[in-house]
Amino acid sequence: MRLAHLWNQATCIGCGACIAACNAANYKSTDRPNPTWRGLQTNIKRIVFDRELKPHTLLVQCQHCENAPCVAVCPTGASYIDRDGLVKIKPELCIGCKYCMTACPYGMRWLDPVTGLPNKCMGEECQDRIKHGLQPVCVTVCPAGARAFGDLDDPNSEVNRRLRGARVIRLLEHKGTRPKYFVVVGR
Amino acid sequence: MTFQEVWDPWLIGPFLWFAGIAGMGSVAYTLMKLFKVEEKLKELALIAFASTVLGLLFVVADLSRPFNMPFAILSSLAQGIFLAKLAQSWMTVGITLLFLLLLFTLLLLLRHTVAGGLAKLTDARWFLVLLALIGLLVTIYSGFLISSAPGIPFWNTGLIPVLWVISASICAVAILKILVHSEAVAHLLTRTGLGLDVSELIALLAFVLTPLYSGPEAARESAWVLVFGGLAPAFWLGVVVIGALVPLVLGFLLLKKEDRRLGVAAALCGLLGALILRILVIHAGVFEVLHL
Repeated sequence: MRLAHLWNQATCIGCGACIAACNAANYKSTDRPNPTWRGLQTNIKRIVFDRELKPHTLLVQCQHCENAPCVAVCPTGASYIDRDGLVKIKPELCIGCKYCMTACPYGMRWLDPVTGLPNKCMGEECQDRIKHGLQPVCVTVCPAGARAFGDLDDPNSEVNRRLRGARVIRLLEHKGTRPKYFVVVGR
Repeated sequence: MTFQEVWDPWLIGPFLWFAGIAGMGSVAYTLMKLFKVEEKLKELALIAFASTVLGLLFVVADLSRPFNMPFAILSSLAQGIFLAKLAQSWMTVGITLLFLLLLFTLLLLLRHTVAGGLAKLTDARWFLVLLALIGLLVTIYSGFLISSAPGIPFWNTGLIPVLWVISASICAVAILKILVHSEAVAHLLTRTGLGLDVSELIALLAFVLTPLYSGPEAARESAWVLVFGGLAPAFWLGVVVIGALVPLVLGFLLLKKEDRRLGVAAALCGLLGALILRILVIHAGVFEVLHL
């Protein structure tokens, strides 16, 4: 099993519902600041950049890399790839060295000021939802249907269905991380 | 541009500095023992042990879950994960090496203070060679630890471990220079120091100029800020002038005639430059820029 995320940049309306839902579900709607990314405590980061004088939005989160640097560098095995293909954290093994944070080329981990854990997608609530056959909250709440989640090894999964015929980018592929976060940029 | 704030430069910089001093200080101890220079060995043992302890204090101070560390490491060891990780993570290698160095330098210190009976063990050739090897590996590992973090492109260069070894060797020579009074040894140290200062200058220039002109965007930003930007005064004055050029000039003067005060001044400059270098390298890290 290789669970993966897909985000369609072309249909995303930038409402931020996924960000708010992640904060609500995984961090109990806390309004405490995210000390690493600033803003909300959430696992989805909004990046705004200019291209040809036009502002573009990029929503990024843990890429659940198949060759994850954060997993490789972790000294105790606290970061690991689970059988479902998702990169997860065992809090009891984490010493808080933050090597995973400097190793992630996407900068997709943030430091929880209370637990000291290098948080990332997926949060506990989303993991629980997946265990019970549900979708992660960011996918469920998206009003534009810009998000999908599913198994790359299942040809009939929603992710594979949407990947067919789409123009897709994987971020920083040259790093050799084999990310499983697909950005659809058109057809 | 935003600098990385994951690793605190004021904690990780001094950790790397102390690790270098402890590591190459241990190498220096072995060389002095093997070449039968018996002067100030007790002081050198104390410095190597104290540097290891201080380095560990600084690195633990940067952990976000320090109280979970003993349990996490023991648990990882019990599950066999820690041993497997030795082949994957420089952090795992580092934890192991630092523990060994702490043990070895503690034995040295005890041998020179309260447990003279340990001399049979610590003066053995195999012990000294092992001590030097562990010391060298601690210095090298602390370079690979930084250079193997793919999130910060400026750090992803094989020059960091090389620079760390050169710079830590300068620190070890500097400490010996401060401790030892023998003119013959001081002269040998002056010549060694000169060679190291020249090597450091070359490595430093390669370290900042290569990414400045041909590195990825984030690495270019880091190099730019060191060479021309906000960190440039600290880099040029602290690292290049105080850390390398002043010891180099003083070294040439000392070649003609050894002078203890000048030698100590050059040593202190070298030590200070090595500390500033490590703080700046950590400080200047910038994460990869993401866009489509």
